[in-house]
Amino acid sequence: MEHKRIAILLAVIWGIVAILPLFFGSTNFIMHILIMCLIWSVVASCWDLIMGFAGIFSFGQVAFFVIGSYSSAIVSARFGVAPIFSVFIAGGITAILGILVGLPCLKLKGAYIALVTFAVHMILEPVLKGDIGKALGTGGSRGILTINPMNIFGYTFSSSEPVPYFYLMLFVAVLCSAIIFLVIKSHWGTAFLALKDAEDFATCLGVSAFKYKLMVFALTSFLTGMIGGFYAHYVGMLSTRMLGIDLFVTLMVILVIGGVGKFPGAIIGAFITIALNEMLSPIGSYRPIILGALVVILVLVLPDGIVGLFEKIFPKKTTKKKYEVTH
Amino acid sequence: MLIEIIDVIISGLINGSVYALMAVGLTLIYGVSKAFNFAYGSFYSMGGYIAFLLFGASFINNYLVVFCLAVPILLVFGFFIEKFLVAPLRKRDDWEIKVMMITLGLALFLDNSYQVVFGARMKSLPSILEGSFELGEFILSYQDVGIFILSIGGILIFRWFLNNTRTGMSVRAVAQNPAGAQIVGIPKDFVFAATFAISTVMVGMGGILLAQKYFITPTGGWDILVKAWVITAFGGMGSIKGSLYAAFIVGMLEAFVGWYFGMTWTLIALFAVLLTTLAIRPQGLMGKWG
Amino acid sequence: MIKVQDLNAFYDDFHVLKNVSLEVGKGQVVVMLGPNGHGKSTVLKSICGLVDKVSGIISYNLENITGKGSEKLVNQGITYIAENRELFPEMSVLENLKLGAYSMSARPHEKKNLEKVFSLFPRLADRQTQLASTMSGGEARMLAIARGLMSNAKFLAIDEPSLGLQPNLRDEVARIIKEINSQGITILVVEQNIPQITELADKIYVLEEGSISFEGSKEEALGNDHLKEIFLGM
Repeated sequence: MEHKRIAILLAVIWGIVAILPLFFGSTNFIMHILIMCLIWSVVASCWDLIMGFAGIFSFGQVAFFVIGSYSSAIVSARFGVAPIFSVFIAGGITAILGILVGLPCLKLKGAYIALVTFAVHMILEPVLKGDIGKALGTGGSRGILTINPMNIFGYTFSSSEPVPYFYLMLFVAVLCSAIIFLVIKSHWGTAFLALKDAEDFATCLGVSAFKYKLMVFALTSFLTGMIGGFYAHYVGMLSTRMLGIDLFVTLMVILVIGGVGKFPGAIIGAFITIALNEMLSPIGSYRPIILGALVVILVLVLPDGIVGLFEKIFPKKTTKKKYEVTH
Repeated sequence: MLIEIIDVIISGLINGSVYALMAVGLTLIYGVSKAFNFAYGSFYSMGGYIAFLLFGASFINNYLVVFCLAVPILLVFGFFIEKFLVAPLRKRDDWEIKVMMITLGLALFLDNSYQVVFGARMKSLPSILEGSFELGEFILSYQDVGIFILSIGGILIFRWFLNNTRTGMSVRAVAQNPAGAQIVGIPKDFVFAATFAISTVMVGMGGILLAQKYFITPTGGWDILVKAWVITAFGGMGSIKGSLYAAFIVGMLEAFVGWYFGMTWTLIALFAVLLTTLAIRPQGLMGKWG
Repeated sequence: MIKVQDLNAFYDDFHVLKNVSLEVGKGQVVVMLGPNGHGKSTVLKSICGLVDKVSGIISYNLENITGKGSEKLVNQGITYIAENRELFPEMSVLENLKLGAYSMSARPHEKKNLEKVFSLFPRLADRQTQLASTMSGGEARMLAIARGLMSNAKFLAIDEPSLGLQPNLRDEVARIIKEINSQGITILVVEQNIPQITELADKIYVLEEGSISFEGSKEEALGNDHLKEIFLGM
């Protein structure tokens, strides 16, 4: 999508979301879901930036989210750091870990990157539950049961009054989407498009694939870890259950519905998916079955997601550029 | 102490042999079609559950019958999954990621269906062979011997199939040179589906073999997916020989780390070894670029 | 035998062939010349069902075969021999040849064709168990041609057989093409480095920028100074 369209779409989305509390503000249950939508829209957009734009098959997104949430909870509890600062520290920790993972793995080929990053996901649970985790203060398999609520300049956000936290999260989400938009718009975004089209050619032109990939990896890790921190201070408790495959697939459904590489589709996808998930929750154990079937069906019928559908209905005015290939 | 070490080695060999069977299947799909199957672990559980169902039928009481029925079921299932879910995506530029997504959705669907149909409780299968061989303190159960022989037998049959049948040769041809395969008139789409089907059988058989020792659970396949994945990456994705060596190395490593440090460390140790290997040889032990 | 009318071919959005028409009669050797990168290979590949996006009409013995995949065409006797050989590197010479006879129609003749191929290429007979990847360029070229013959083809599209070949083997290639043709196989060959092959030609086409710019007998081609100089190197 061209940049102008993304900007307009973003403005429309956030505009609509911003007035939602007018209708649902008194229903805590719905506000809670909306806050979750905002959180997951950031996580999913970051993932889209890595996978859809940078073309890195990273499967460590949930892991980075969990690392961020645990870091923020532990930092604020252990060192008495105010949550509003600890979320940024958590982002920093996650970014450093992201770089540590990225250094060996971004030089690998597609499926290997998927493996190593997914390995980070799989390994996180035994680490958090085991002796290392307990020493850090993860609470082992019990998890962390009390986390300080978010507090800015003496004002404490409580989960019984979700509207203020909703606007705080909206602010964060708008900021994150603006950063992602700027990345896509900047020469990073152009470089990635070049890398995806013809990596060898782009490398010849001096576009260092590794450098750009590492930078975007660090950035998204930071944002994901930070939003993980906001999540921790909102829900007030953490456990390794987040690392179950359920959440991972939910995140994937968000991308599938929104469209991979179709920012800001991920944001729309997040709202639809989280809402759908809540609507399906009364049917209990059938919910993940339906979710799984939905992924399968959507990948087949709607491979570019809602935004892809939107683009098909309203095609761009400029025709597709022709490539000059010489054989 | 000595007896313990021998036990550990035997356990490593037996697990390694079944891992080899399953990892070869995974590396085969990757080598032939460059597709990555996230539902591989769910196919493993499917093997176990099929055997469980068959044993539930009163007239079936031996493994030979179970294998004879399970193999065609898995073969047909794998074939149609490829035909209807993976093949339609192949035309797209971003089909690799789409295949990962669709198989992940399939895994969620299958795992939770198992949960609904069979319940979350563990299911067990009868032992393939009863009794054991004893020599002083040293005990070798015939079950372990049976599992080892069957998985090695499975690999040998697979090897024979690849080298001596026309379909097997066409599978190798597509893996080595897809353009060349097309030129000599090999129907690629059929080979892709056949490969997927064969790998489904291999992992499903692995499920039947290992479920005797470790039970069947709805989400037990994830552990297997990760192990098979680590093994194939470690050995070099697409390299069958590499996967074979890697499977036994991983089986041994797991047995020794589990015995010496405790089971929680096995996964961590595996990844440590994998990352070290990939840092030195990004293409794995015996893999090739391209 | 092969008749192509108004063939257009595309790679993605790139228009490679523009309204190409040509005809190859039964038992003929037809040579196609032209600068590199102007679509000669694409013509051959289109005829053999190896290009996805084509329009126009390709007919084979009066049957319309446009859009048919290679797995069907090989079975009907149309085989492509690639310029970059496209062998199976980790397989032995014998296995490569056996895969050449993959199609249903070639299977019954596998034994007979194997003997025929070994008599044409005695060196391959000596090296049956050698892996294709360890062969020299010339041997690999022979193997690629031999593999094409295993398909029991009635029509062979041979793409630049001289590519990567030592000059002294060029005579050999010309001899083999003559031999194959004398057994009744129709040949369309892209080749401009071997004058001996041009000698065999019943007809010559020149393809420039995706269109046929010359069509005629070899006498006419030799009479055309421009062609003679640029493409025939004489």
